[in-house]
Amino acid sequence: MEKPEKLIVDGKRLDGRMPDELRSLRIEAGVLKRADGSAYVELGENKVLAAVYGPREMHPRHDQQPDTAVLRCRYNMAPFSVEDRKRPGPDRRSVEISKVIREALEPVLFLKLYPRSVIDVFIEILQADAGTRTAGINAASVALADAGIPMRDLVSAVAVGKVEDTIVLDLTKEEDQLGTTDMPIAIVPRKQLVTLLQMDGHLTEDEFKRALDLGFRGCAQIYEVQRQALREKYGVKEE
Amino acid sequence: MYGIVSSVKRDYIVDLAKHGKRVDGRGFDQFRDVSVRTDVIKSANGSAEVKIGNTRVLVGVKIQHAEPFPDMPESGVLMVNAELRPLASPSFELGPPGEGAVELARVVDRGIRESDAIALDKLGIKSGEDVWAVFIDIHVLDHDGNLIDASALGATAALLNIKPPEDEAWTLQEFPIQKRPVAVTVSRINDRLMVDPCLDEEDVADARLTITTVEDGSICAMQKGGAGYLSREQIEEAYHLARTKAEELRERLR
Amino acid sequence: MIHVRHRELVVPGQLVAEGDYRLRDGAYREGKQVYSSVVGLAYLQGEDIKIVPLQRPYIPSRGDVVIGVVVDSYHSGWVLDLNSPYTGNLFVSDLLHRKVDLNREDIGKYLGIGDLVAATVKDVDERMRVQLETEGFRKGKVDSGKLIEISPAKVPRVLGRKGSMLKILQESTGCKLIVGQNGRIIVQGEDPHMVNAVVQALLMIEREAHTSGLTDRVRLQLEKLKRRE
Repeated sequence: MEKPEKLIVDGKRLDGRMPDELRSLRIEAGVLKRADGSAYVELGENKVLAAVYGPREMHPRHDQQPDTAVLRCRYNMAPFSVEDRKRPGPDRRSVEISKVIREALEPVLFLKLYPRSVIDVFIEILQADAGTRTAGINAASVALADAGIPMRDLVSAVAVGKVEDTIVLDLTKEEDQLGTTDMPIAIVPRKQLVTLLQMDGHLTEDEFKRALDLGFRGCAQIYEVQRQALREKYGVKEE
Repeated sequence: MYGIVSSVKRDYIVDLAKHGKRVDGRGFDQFRDVSVRTDVIKSANGSAEVKIGNTRVLVGVKIQHAEPFPDMPESGVLMVNAELRPLASPSFELGPPGEGAVELARVVDRGIRESDAIALDKLGIKSGEDVWAVFIDIHVLDHDGNLIDASALGATAALLNIKPPEDEAWTLQEFPIQKRPVAVTVSRINDRLMVDPCLDEEDVADARLTITTVEDGSICAMQKGGAGYLSREQIEEAYHLARTKAEELRERLR
Repeated sequence: MIHVRHRELVVPGQLVAEGDYRLRDGAYREGKQVYSSVVGLAYLQGEDIKIVPLQRPYIPSRGDVVIGVVVDSYHSGWVLDLNSPYTGNLFVSDLLHRKVDLNREDIGKYLGIGDLVAATVKDVDERMRVQLETEGFRKGKVDSGKLIEISPAKVPRVLGRKGSMLKILQESTGCKLIVGQNGRIIVQGEDPHMVNAVVQALLMIEREAHTSGLTDRVRLQLEKLKRRE
């Protein structure tokens, strides 16, 4: 990749967005036939599918929990989803991401309704362009609602970052690689509670606060698209 | 993975938190006794043993020749690995690293990598062919909670303890360490925040947030964990706790 | 104070009402506020609020009619898959409605793996162990008919108010239906063309379960399908 001189010119980013602007976002609910719930998310160049199976019988049995359903998440990148072919199967990165995604979704689910069972969430990254874990969370939360799993709210997620000392919303791959900081965040929008927060890079206290502000605002926009996707599945158009 | 905590124990800890107390009588902003011993393993280039209360972690660093990554032909390589040895807890099992071990290693890795603690650009030997690799191996020996902070502190201590390899390819005066990242984990129990959770507290905590800071108080890595949430106010409070506590822990590195 | 219209489509986390309402399914309370926990239609009746989900898993409940598939056997009975996180147990005595001397009789001749059984949920304990029985009309092993599976959330529409939809489906085609609350339906009929008409109608009900005027549309569709004879 040719390194561009500057990632921000006259206040605008290379793809023409303002620092606080999301990429184009499209969410569709109920896209897979066999799954109990599913969703497809396109965020910029990201293409992400999520499927929910369950609650179903938990195997192996010794993993059953007597008083609650267990949530299992598996985040997987397709080998062709990135520039250099990704070796198939779980690596350390995807193991960690699967864990933090599970922990981002679990707080909103009424898991106690289904003791001893398991709810499986499969997230497949078909095409990656930075922000795949947050796009995956957005897809998974719509898929869980689509599966009819009772939940307090949806979970909305976005990555915030720092590019040439500017705090920006929803990084592209280029910005992620050449910028200094990536901070994925997931929130429960109605109560404004954070269920995923990771960061690597460099932020001062002031920058951190601005990044949080931007993350909350970005999630609010995504939340509306998620809700609309669920309504549209049943033919209810924008109100 | 799904340990069951007796409800009496859970209620006890949660109830204490409501009244501003902790099981072992500490304040919410108080660590257990912390000790850092370095140079404990002769066969490693650098090593440290960190104890936080009963939690005990050994970190060894080895420096060896390696092939560089194709996109960074002159840059040294950093690898962090963590093993939750079965001797450290009845809940640890033999076998490949589970998600807990993977997360632990990656959180420590990000703290060091993202703060540029090591000047990896000085660790090239022959462009595209040979560079120095820094292997940080975290060995958990006794698990009584807060493995992340103990491991991260051990890793930074072990890096500061490095004696360069006796190898003619090594030309630097000393190992190029330029930052001292310190991780502090803040746990939320019953809507109260506390640092350095012991195992009993970890088991009942709703969520945790690990914030790794460097000397000037800026953040280089963060990781939220646990199946609960944090409010915006709690996140900012956690940052201030983490920053203050990291300054204290950094004193132990001398 | 109600924030949605009757039968409005709501999504998880959506504010439905504020005040002292009685909550049925699909909603939860935070202080005075009542929120939906599912994608569903809001039903407001007096002081009652319920959200009828458009999709939900099947959780066995005492008295439900279910259609199970035999997946395993043990010395005194069988394990049935119920299209649910919980399997059902059927003792041989609850299948035959008599005492069975297990030392003298090989129960393998009554049911085998893969067999279809229409049963009633006799009991569900707190460990979610489900006991089944086959006492009653059209219960027991199912020997013929076409099995179709729809979402358990749509079963109430297949039955209709006081069984009105089921009545239309059966009377206008001459077919017999066994409708399991777990989303499995058996359609039995002499005429394959009529069986197919019912299947098509069932799929239409599943697709359009959230819309109103469904009964009339099903009636029309069945007439149309029958005329193509």
